[in-house]
Amino acid sequence: MRRFLVFLVMILLPLKVFALTPDEIMKKSQAAFLYQGKDFKARVMMKLISKGGQERVRELTMLRKNFGESGGDQKYFIYFFQPADVKDMTFMVYKYPKKDDDRWLFVPAINMVRRIAAQDKRSSFVGSDFTYEDISGRDIEDDTHAISKEEKIGNRDCYVIKSTPKAADVDYSYKLSWIDKTNFLPLKEEYYDRKGELYKVFTADEIKDIKGFPTATKRTMKNLQSGHRTEVTFSKTDYNIGIEDSLFSERYLKQPPKKWIE
Amino acid sequence: MKKFSLVEFSVRHPKLIVALAIIFTLALMTQFPKMKTDTNPKNMLPKTSDVRVWNDEVEKTFGLYEDMIALGIVNDKGILNQDTLGKIQRITDEILKIKGVSARDVSSFTTIDNVTVEGETLKVAPLMTAVPKTDKDLEILKKMLFENPLFINRIISKDGKTTAIYVPLEKGANGKEIADRIREIVKKEKGDEKYYVAGDPVARDTFGAEMFKLMGIFSPIAGMIMFIAIYLMFRNLSLSISMMMVAMISIIWSMGLLIGLGFPIHIMSSMSPVFLMAIATDSIHIFNEFYFRYREKKDKKTAIIETMNAVGRPVRYTALATAAGFAVLMFMHIIPVKVFGGLVAFGTIILRLLSFSFIPAILTLIKEEKIEKASSREDVELSRTTQFLRSLGSFGTHKPKATVIVGLILFVVAVIGITKINVNNNMVEWFKKNSDIRIADKILNADLGGTSLGYVVAVSKEDDYIKTPEAMRYIEGLQRHLERLPVVGKTSSVADYVKRINRVLHNDDLQYDVVPETKEMIGQYIFLFSMSAKPSDLDNVVDYPFRKANIWVQLKTWDAQAMRDVIKAVDDYKKSHPIPMEFKPAGIAYFNLVWNDAVLWDMLRGFIVAMIVVFVILVFNFRSIKWAIVGYIPLLFTILLIYGVVGFIGKDFDMPISVLSCLSLGMAVDFAIHFISRFKQKLVESSELRIESSEQLKTPNSELITNSLLWTAARPGKGIMLNAVLFASAFSVMMFAPLTPYITVGAFIVSMMMLSAIMTIIYLPALITLMQGWLFKGGLR
Repeated sequence: MRRFLVFLVMILLPLKVFALTPDEIMKKSQAAFLYQGKDFKARVMMKLISKGGQERVRELTMLRKNFGESGGDQKYFIYFFQPADVKDMTFMVYKYPKKDDDRWLFVPAINMVRRIAAQDKRSSFVGSDFTYEDISGRDIEDDTHAISKEEKIGNRDCYVIKSTPKAADVDYSYKLSWIDKTNFLPLKEEYYDRKGELYKVFTADEIKDIKGFPTATKRTMKNLQSGHRTEVTFSKTDYNIGIEDSLFSERYLKQPPKKWIE
Repeated sequence: MKKFSLVEFSVRHPKLIVALAIIFTLALMTQFPKMKTDTNPKNMLPKTSDVRVWNDEVEKTFGLYEDMIALGIVNDKGILNQDTLGKIQRITDEILKIKGVSARDVSSFTTIDNVTVEGETLKVAPLMTAVPKTDKDLEILKKMLFENPLFINRIISKDGKTTAIYVPLEKGANGKEIADRIREIVKKEKGDEKYYVAGDPVARDTFGAEMFKLMGIFSPIAGMIMFIAIYLMFRNLSLSISMMMVAMISIIWSMGLLIGLGFPIHIMSSMSPVFLMAIATDSIHIFNEFYFRYREKKDKKTAIIETMNAVGRPVRYTALATAAGFAVLMFMHIIPVKVFGGLVAFGTIILRLLSFSFIPAILTLIKEEKIEKASSREDVELSRTTQFLRSLGSFGTHKPKATVIVGLILFVVAVIGITKINVNNNMVEWFKKNSDIRIADKILNADLGGTSLGYVVAVSKEDDYIKTPEAMRYIEGLQRHLERLPVVGKTSSVADYVKRINRVLHNDDLQYDVVPETKEMIGQYIFLFSMSAKPSDLDNVVDYPFRKANIWVQLKTWDAQAMRDVIKAVDDYKKSHPIPMEFKPAGIAYFNLVWNDAVLWDMLRGFIVAMIVVFVILVFNFRSIKWAIVGYIPLLFTILLIYGVVGFIGKDFDMPISVLSCLSLGMAVDFAIHFISRFKQKLVESSELRIESSEQLKTPNSELITNSLLWTAARPGKGIMLNAVLFASAFSVMMFAPLTPYITVGAFIVSMMMLSAIMTIIYLPALITLMQGWLFKGGLR
């Protein structure tokens, strides 16, 4: 009898011990989705598509460098190609998970760099359906996470995590994320509004392996209530290219180095 | 004759007829629970109409909402204090949770985007993220509010006492339900603040709810009043009931069929029960004549058949004329006008069918002694009513010239009145002055930019043209020009945002509160704004390729005329300031103008066609153009007088009034038909008595004409008067309705029926007496 009990404990224990907690899943997902490599570069094509099918285009180069561990500080440098009249506009973000970001914008028409206050991480990124937070990530400790089920998306096994914001000032009441069990990329996210209705859906439409890092190179965010959607395509994606710390400065905002932005 | 046989059949099988009628009625009653209303003025015009297609396109291009509710909050001590601001915050939070509210685009202190500069930092954030805790914070908020022209008269009144929360609705949401929910939310707040809920969807959906009430309460009350009136006239319960039943049956059949076919009830068709009830009073002629005949013959069945022979022809033709008057509406453009026309025409035909079947059947079923008792009261010589009518008729007969001259003077006065008619329509004024909606609308229009919204869309020929300083400055200039109109409370456009950003980027320097010099600057400012503001801020005012810009024009009145003024001002500005852009009006204010005009012209067209059709029917009925003309004169006269009065009292000629024109024609013609038909019948009967040997009827002499006229004025005249009184009493109920269109219709029908009955009884004798030489030239036919 005692033997049997020991045996039972022995089989059950590893399961208990090795099963991931929802917070761990979200941490791994954040690392895979937003912190891969030391640095990262991509040419980003954003199509903002209205309900009526009208399109606006944002084309930009995005450079990102990690400072510290996954989940820590990051710096972003963005150079705009399109729309045509904002060519040469640059945008820089110092991202701090625990406090408000610092943001700077260079307005070439008046040759002026302006700091932009950023207390609302849930506001739209360049008029798209993505928020700043959707681009650069949300602090895991801002939400409580729970595994609501496990489900397949296509042929990929996923955890479905329900994340409920701890603060009430967020535009959604909870979010469901379908996290790929093998590469931990979010394949789909559903945002439910304060009335409990589904209103935004994120999908990772194409995953490519770049320098050994699985990367979502096509993604869509659709607002079901306004009918508006934003389609994003990454090209010229690369990791660990050795971006210097000095790039993230006001000086380079005004004169972005060609080798990085092209 | 086919009709004759229907009467005989009904007299022979009265129970079968009654049973059939009841079965049909019950069957159609089952359709009633499916009833739905449609009070959206948009549906006045078909989906494919130019204005709807264009409006839909504008809404789509600029991501606009069809419907918006405004909640006004007024504190006479000023709203900029912690207490009131706390309430605004709580109320906004609650509103955001209401189903059907498009939460992302609610504009309030806590949701509206504000672009500011603090030190070196540019900030785009909601105006108030938390209620200010110190006086200093309050001062900052105050400063931000009043220095930003985008806020003044929108979310804050100039005197700081009024704010508004703008609540856009999702497609298909019920405005009244959401308005009621908002009222509940504000009820929980205590304090000095007053709350006002305004906006087109509230008005529209409240109207829909009231419409149901009107149909459910006022139609039965009208029925009851008619019932009592009939009972007082005939002193026989079964008769009164049968007449009411005829009215109810035709209402249930026509409404049931309409609902069963899937049509929604519009404002016009909601009036049709009362209309049909009034038209049903035409069968009073049957009862009236039946009583006379029964007293003479004392045999019920013969009396019924003789009665139907005597009044059958006029009843048939009046029904035909009325039905035709309404049926022409089916060929108009406005959907509710078509439905209304078809509905009432159908109901009228049913009424006529019942007059020849159901009524004779009921008369057959009534016990003889009851009729005898009731009819014994009827005596031409004794009755006071008939005496009075006889004297009315004799006035026209004996002093025809004086009567006609008075008529001509009245005619001239009426024409002068008609020239003063003002064509206008104002949906909010469909509610009574002291109604919540009217008060809310008045307050918000006085304190803020205005509750009625129109758009002026600037359309250029190339992409990105709107970003040029030329286009921006032009839009700004046009805005200032429009704001000079007294009806315009506020305008806003993309130029306002560009100017705001220019100023903020230059450390809030007032010098930079202008459109910047280059296209690049404008493009980059707009982009900068779009980087942090709500997407809808920009989408609402420019299209994606920057070819079109949308200027919001808030109007302080719902008068259709206001938008006409705006359109004219835009045209004038364009003429004096040429630019390669077109300007097209849109929005609900514009739509109200368009459908309002369309309804009016449709009704006018319908009226003219109805006049021709009714004239043709008169010609057929009297088999004479001359007699048709004579019968037509009192009719036209009545209508002219009514509209003359409309012009003099300054009542706007709006949709409900225009509906009346066709109605008046269809109804008033009845009296002329009855009078002339019965008069000629009497002449024939009398002539036959006098010259029995003669095959050809001779031209009647004046004495005979005078006597016959007086007889007609007294006997069928009584039927006409009873008809008019019944009619008027049924419609008088509408004067107590909570909605002004019904009141208007009620008041005018009452006066019109009384007037046209009197006109018929005075003017027909006068005209016939004056023109007897011409009328009887070819002998009596």
